[in-house]
Amino acid sequence: MRKDEALRPPFRRVLVANRGEIAVRIIRACRDLGMEAVAVYSDADAGALHVELADEAIRLGPAPASESYLRGEAIIEAARRSRAEAIHPGYGFLSERASFAQAVEDAGLVFVGPRSDVIAGLGDKLAARRLARDVGVPIVPGTLEPAAIARADEAADVVSAAEGVGFPLLVKAAAGGGGRGMRRVERAEDLPAALVAGSAEAASAFGDGRVYVEREIRPARHVEVQLLGDAAGTIIAIGERDCSLQRRHQKLVEESPAPGLTVEERRLHHELAVRIGRAAHLTNAATAEFLIDEDQRPWFLEVNTRLQVEHGVTELTGGFDLVVEQFWIAAGKPLSSAAMAAAGAAANPGRHAIEVRLSAEDPARQFAAAPGRIGRFSLPAGDGVRVDTGVRPGDRVPPDYDPLVAKLLVVAGDREAAIALLRDALDSVEITGIQTTLPFHRFVARDPSFAAGDLSIEWVAGHWDGAADRAAARRAADRAAAPRVAGVSTAFAEPPPVSPWLRAGREAFLDEWPE
Amino acid sequence: MAGVRPRPGAVRVREGEGATTIDPTDLPGGVDDVPVVIGAVSRTDGGAARVEVVAGGWRFELEVEPARRAALRERATRAASAVGSGGALEVHAMIPGRVVAVAVAVGDAVTRGAQLLVVEAMKMQNDVPSPADAVVERVSVSPGDTVELGDLLVVLAAARASAANPR
Repeated sequence: MRKDEALRPPFRRVLVANRGEIAVRIIRACRDLGMEAVAVYSDADAGALHVELADEAIRLGPAPASESYLRGEAIIEAARRSRAEAIHPGYGFLSERASFAQAVEDAGLVFVGPRSDVIAGLGDKLAARRLARDVGVPIVPGTLEPAAIARADEAADVVSAAEGVGFPLLVKAAAGGGGRGMRRVERAEDLPAALVAGSAEAASAFGDGRVYVEREIRPARHVEVQLLGDAAGTIIAIGERDCSLQRRHQKLVEESPAPGLTVEERRLHHELAVRIGRAAHLTNAATAEFLIDEDQRPWFLEVNTRLQVEHGVTELTGGFDLVVEQFWIAAGKPLSSAAMAAAGAAANPGRHAIEVRLSAEDPARQFAAAPGRIGRFSLPAGDGVRVDTGVRPGDRVPPDYDPLVAKLLVVAGDREAAIALLRDALDSVEITGIQTTLPFHRFVARDPSFAAGDLSIEWVAGHWDGAADRAAARRAADRAAAPRVAGVSTAFAEPPPVSPWLRAGREAFLDEWPE
Repeated sequence: MAGVRPRPGAVRVREGEGATTIDPTDLPGGVDDVPVVIGAVSRTDGGAARVEVVAGGWRFELEVEPARRAALRERATRAASAVGSGGALEVHAMIPGRVVAVAVAVGDAVTRGAQLLVVEAMKMQNDVPSPADAVVERVSVSPGDTVELGDLLVVLAAARASAANPR
């Protein structure tokens, strides 16, 4: 590399086709690289942080995603108009739509992610399963040819194939995601009805009614391997993440490395993921997802061809910047020495990182969405603590999008120290105005089975009782609120206490009690 | 609770149906190891303090007033409801979002728990159930409407009163 080239950023101007914390995080990476950032926004986000931070911002349309962040043509037009050279899609929205990546490429712009043909190939879940099987990666046993099944009498072929798969099994949508179209079936006689119902649901959700069956692996952990590939064909695995703590197929807590695996087991997982990446001719960033059974055996699930929400834990354990890496790769540069070093140390990184997702959800009501206007918003900072957020005090969390408001990440020398750091960090989170998942995360950080690394994708259902946890907190809330009645005529005009937080107890209570 | 006169200085803290009375003179010495943040403080129409408290991450909207005054008011309310015939019951939006379906029309009889309408927020469909056996008196929203927290959705009339007095 020539010296003047080394100083030049990968692109001059980048359009960030996303919102919220991930848009802010990508804009920060643009700044670090000396690139200008163009934001896009819907009417719900006109005053959002990502808009404020960008060098230029372009309106896409009304609040619903289908009229704004999912309008691929409008986004490409915005990139043209603002003379951006590349588009970073973030996660969600258009990030895994091969047709969008293709349109970006056709417009002469750079899509910061895998090539459109790679997205298309791996986005077809069954094609990805066949590809993995062909290179000797164990796949969850199941059928490999999907079929739309409108009536029970069309199910005969799948039912006979299911005998070989074994029960209980899952009916899954070929085009699916987020659990839609999915059915759990325990007995062969229930399978035809489940296939018809799953197929109908998939048809209405994705416009594609094809379904397949897969054996249910239980108990299981969800472990995924971060992959990076450059234009020269180098493909590396940079560690794995355990994302077993989930609710309704939404991840709540992620950590790296996955607890309880030996260095050899980690190496094996990384090697299997690299094999899939090679077979798919992967470029840029992607994640290979596996289920790990009780005997620590990995079973391939699927590949996500985008930056993951939880990429930060990999950055903290690996000591490099994944988004910066994505930009260099997209500009045709080889993998950086920092990324290569992280890959080399990935099986034994000597650090442990944990992320919790603070979302506007009510953990006492099955994590139902709880949008609204944020009041106070203050998150911890300090050594080993990182916060990724896209909101400020007083911002509204709109009901139109994912309810994630902030990711709180910690990193320490080992898992025990990371959990201790997380516990303290969570205790200084201050968010008012909206209910968040904070109580759940405080519980996790204190739970002995989590500390023991005893994780599974059923963990949340088996351990968390939101209503009981809330009831226990009520006493402290009552005692903190009681003094507020003091001096009825004047107390209400008092501003909230300036101190960041106060402990509810006798002292505070008596201090403010009317004489 | 009825018949027990709260001590002077005691405070009633209410959240929805769940009310507790706190007496400052017999607080236990121990302190809950729960971080507490006080949010918005305002005043209700009835003169109580409305305090937003986030304790251990849980958000409460509490109404605080002197326990003696609360007891007096409760007695008055009980007396009023004893002679009343079950007036109108208003159903308000518990979350902001979009109305995607309205399952009832004016005049429909509904049972407690029956679906009145569906509000979609963040891709989640939230059923709004009837809080009582009742007759729909008014529907204030239509599918596609955006509603904010606390917006009036449906007005119900007590079923018993309507049945006894058919029009």
